Amino acid sequence: MAVNPAPRRVRDRAPWRLKDRRYRAAAESVTAEQRPERPQHEAGAPVRQSSLWRDAWRRYVRNRAAVVAAVAFGLLVAFCLFYPLVSPHDPYEVNFSQASESPSLEHPLGTDRFGRDLLTRTALGGRVSIGIGFAATIAILLIGVVYGSIAGFVGGWLDNGMMRFLDALYGLPYLPFAIITIAIFGNVTFWVMVVALAIASWFTAARIVRGQIITLKQNDYVRAAKAIGARWHRILGRHLLPNTLGVLIIAIFLELPAVILGEAFISFIGLGISPPDASWGAMAQDGRAVYRVHPIEIVIPSVAIATLILSANFIADGLRDALDPRTKET
Amino acid sequence: MALLEVRDLQTQFFTRDGVVRAVDGVSFELDRGRTLAIVGESGCGKSVTALSIMGLIPRPPAEIVAGEVLLEGRELTALDESELEQVRGRRIAMIFQDPMTSLNPTLKIGTQITEALRHHLGLGRREARTRAAELLDEVGLPLPQQRLDDYPHRLSGGMRQRVMIAMAISCNPAVLIADEPTTALDVTVQAQVLDLLDELRHEHDMAMLIITHDMGVVAEVADDVLVMYAGQVVEQAPVEELFDNPQHPYTEALLGALPQLDEQEVRSGRLTAIPGRPPDLLDPPAACRYAARCPYASRADSCTTEMPALRPVRRGHLVRSAHPACERAEAAAEVPA
Repeated sequence: MAVNPAPRRVRDRAPWRLKDRRYRAAAESVTAEQRPERPQHEAGAPVRQSSLWRDAWRRYVRNRAAVVAAVAFGLLVAFCLFYPLVSPHDPYEVNFSQASESPSLEHPLGTDRFGRDLLTRTALGGRVSIGIGFAATIAILLIGVVYGSIAGFVGGWLDNGMMRFLDALYGLPYLPFAIITIAIFGNVTFWVMVVALAIASWFTAARIVRGQIITLKQNDYVRAAKAIGARWHRILGRHLLPNTLGVLIIAIFLELPAVILGEAFISFIGLGISPPDASWGAMAQDGRAVYRVHPIEIVIPSVAIATLILSANFIADGLRDALDPRTKET
Repeated sequence: MALLEVRDLQTQFFTRDGVVRAVDGVSFELDRGRTLAIVGESGCGKSVTALSIMGLIPRPPAEIVAGEVLLEGRELTALDESELEQVRGRRIAMIFQDPMTSLNPTLKIGTQITEALRHHLGLGRREARTRAAELLDEVGLPLPQQRLDDYPHRLSGGMRQRVMIAMAISCNPAVLIADEPTTALDVTVQAQVLDLLDELRHEHDMAMLIITHDMGVVAEVADDVLVMYAGQVVEQAPVEELFDNPQHPYTEALLGALPQLDEQEVRSGRLTAIPGRPPDLLDPPAACRYAARCPYASRADSCTTEMPALRPVRRGHLVRSAHPACERAEAAAEVPA
């Protein structure tokens, strides 16, 4: 006769249960003082704070190329800012007795054909190039944020009109646009370059912001904010724009190389910053005349431009992965 | 006069394919201290009704084409946006379905709760913060002071829904609309949140409009029930009356689709499902909208050709059907005689 397995299994398990109960009773009899010391946490208290920025930082430093790029970028900017202050040479002083010298202890990168110290002039040119780059980028983002957020937030026919206007501007070639702006202003100064470059290249930033605003606008928390009576400027300023910050930070480092390259090109073809002031593009233009006999004069500003642009691109890449990990390309 | 009165509300979506009649002539009254539940399946116009009352429908494409929404005697559909902003959150507030997405992830809990307090009640930063902590305490969040400085991602779904509730009641609104407040929550948390809502409704002397597709929720919190089908009210009754004497075939079917415990034993057999699907609101039939799925409608009936009116069958019990249960019983009684 077959034995019904069910009762046996219950019996088998019984001692365990009993033991279990005894353990539990023993545990309960231990008073709070006798319990082993444990790290004291208040109920619900956070174990460790972790913020968006700290997470982003952690992801960023894991990207080796981006870290190297950031260091290179920082060194280059620091060099441009501070070297002219400590340099023994006047970057404007023409001295034909030491023209087109090769690198030496006195002049680490040699001199140009006017006898000016190249290292000092590179730093000086970098100030102008990077300065124009940052100023124009910030101008681009300001225009982009204002234009893009109005279009995206209001929507409807206004958005439609503003975007078609942008499409029309997109059709115009970038550099002639900048060149015409410069021509209108007449003489070329730092700020004229900034305005020219900003006017020629704010479209992409405006589109990015508009797209972001439209996506964010559909979030439930925007509707929830409206449901408690938040006014439009509060919704735009508190709930929408801060959420575009990550994209804007990335956009800075995406726009920067394009703007610096644009400035370099305009200066190189002789429409930009004019001598004796220097920018890297203008220096390359100077060096172009003597590239056969004294190539270092064109190589130095070119390398500087390339380093800056390359590092900015790597930084943008690293930032995108750090601030928006979901879109990471694998 | 009722606290909230909706008269013949019609909200339509003007889409590329045509006009969708999402809410088609909904009327009801809600008195102070009462809870009204709107039930119906997905897409029947429950949420659009609520959003229309709040003036939060997305326009375009949606538009309130007819009807009135009277809150404390004030016509809301006639107000412009800035006037509505003064009403929203202050006199009428709303809780949404998904607490995971209804809080801004980049703002601290405290910032989001104080938003309404500072806007509507003009409280200073300090006072608003103190009040916000009191509110969090009231909705049952432990350590309210510390919660204020937390970002939403640190809270669970249930906790976030409590924060949403705290935000909604922060300015003592007269009417609280809860749009499926428990749908996105765990079953155990659902009961807690419903209890909390009921308690707050009581303490703050609010009227509550709760939107759900869960008959269990209706039975738990509602005083009156509005059953919606395809943009229309098909039955309206006090909650006991509705559960005891469902009149509309659709309501009967909804109740029949519920798992039930009969005499301690789980009812055996399969749950009854309603065959077919609701009509396309782009081009609703001129007849009773439930006729195609109704077991009592036959081709000879008037309800397959014309729309039955919403009529009272008992005291306080309205139904839109040519075949309410009570008349079917009479008809059946007449046949043998």
